[in-house]
Amino acid sequence: MGYSVKLDVFEGPLDLLLYFIKRDEINIYDIPISRITDEYLEYLQLMKDMNLQIAGEFILMAALLIRIKLQMLLAPDGEDGEEEIEIEDPRTELVQMLEEYQKYKKAGEYLKLLEEENLKYHPVNVEKPAVDIDVDLFLSDISLYDLAVLFKNFIQKTPKSKLYEIEAVRFTIDQRIQQLRSFFIRRKKVKFNELELDKKNRLEIIVTFLAILEMVKNGELGIHQERNFDDIALEYKNGVEIETVANT
Amino acid sequence: MESKLKLSRIHRIVEALLFSAKEPLTETQVKLCLGEDNTEFDKIIQDIEGFYKEIESPLTIRKIAQGYKMAIRKEYKKWVARLYQKRGQVHLTKSALETLAIIAYKQPVTRVEIDAIRGVNSDGPMKTLLEKGLIEIRGRKNVPGRPMLYGTTKKFLEYFGLNSLDDLPDIKEIQELNQQSLFSTNENTPPENTEKIFNTQTSSENSQ
Repeated sequence: MGYSVKLDVFEGPLDLLLYFIKRDEINIYDIPISRITDEYLEYLQLMKDMNLQIAGEFILMAALLIRIKLQMLLAPDGEDGEEEIEIEDPRTELVQMLEEYQKYKKAGEYLKLLEEENLKYHPVNVEKPAVDIDVDLFLSDISLYDLAVLFKNFIQKTPKSKLYEIEAVRFTIDQRIQQLRSFFIRRKKVKFNELELDKKNRLEIIVTFLAILEMVKNGELGIHQERNFDDIALEYKNGVEIETVANT
Repeated sequence: MESKLKLSRIHRIVEALLFSAKEPLTETQVKLCLGEDNTEFDKIIQDIEGFYKEIESPLTIRKIAQGYKMAIRKEYKKWVARLYQKRGQVHLTKSALETLAIIAYKQPVTRVEIDAIRGVNSDGPMKTLLEKGLIEIRGRKNVPGRPMLYGTTKKFLEYFGLNSLDDLPDIKEIQELNQQSLFSTNENTPPENTEKIFNTQTSSENSQ
């Protein structure tokens, strides 16, 4: 007989055993332990074959079943009733577990019926949706200012991101010097602000500035500033010197 | 039955409260809203329900979680469901129901005790039930490790349409009944009058 049952319907090893008991119409107080152990292990093998992860609880139950089977094999064959009475049936513990579980399994099924029945009644409720969402979000008494303050507080409380964006260095000072040289070949005199720099990119401004200082140091470039904070005038000296500088 | 087609002002006020209440309306709430100690709350509810029955209203009043909740009669569920089609109804899973049954009958109960009965770990269903507010932590058990104790909430009663935990049949009764008779038994012995009125309503509607 093949297993046509869905594997996921069993809530656990007890549920699985109850399934065998019900299917085979087994008397719960006289479980043929050998047969049920075989069936159980066969099922575990099936789960294994299907690459299903077998929960530890299933293994534990397998161990219990095998233990009971062994105990029954080792128990003296009750030829006369006297001996049987003295020895407790090794299945007792399992039967109690099954009974207890079955009680609540059925209670769960009962709750399912209650749930279905109750869902048939659509509740009447004419409350405003706004109230329905969350009382804390009820905004009737809150002004725009309150919202602004709340927003500010919220922003301040928000922990600063631990992630920082590091921009790849797109140009070095040397590269910038080369660029400036080719620029100055076309135009000898220029103001710093006239260099078309990306104002948002601080790094570009800094690198350019350092490149200019480097060129001034080399004597390639003359600089002049009228007053503090004035724009800086740059004057390219000559092309011959460049070659010498570049070669050193 | 005497004609109840004329409801008094107080009936209409209570009706308005029933309409507006999100959770089951309690007598305390009604007294608070009316500003007077009206002790005939149950009678008023019965009158309104009787009135609904008489005019064949789709509305009904159910006694849930020690209060009254207005609802659409289940005969109209089909149509109402279409209105809310997109939302769909989320039922509890088998494992959640099983876990909930253990908690309902054995509360206050610890997680270890639940696991022992089910024979499997119940972390998943417990989390679901806590999130849905159907169970709550009731304190700690005075045993080594002081494990948390769990019990059902008022929302549990509302979710299953129960007035109180006493409405749950005895755990032994559930064993003796098969599921079909269990269900009909439940309907034939309604805990409240509202249900009885509803049942007669069903038959009269069917005869039309």
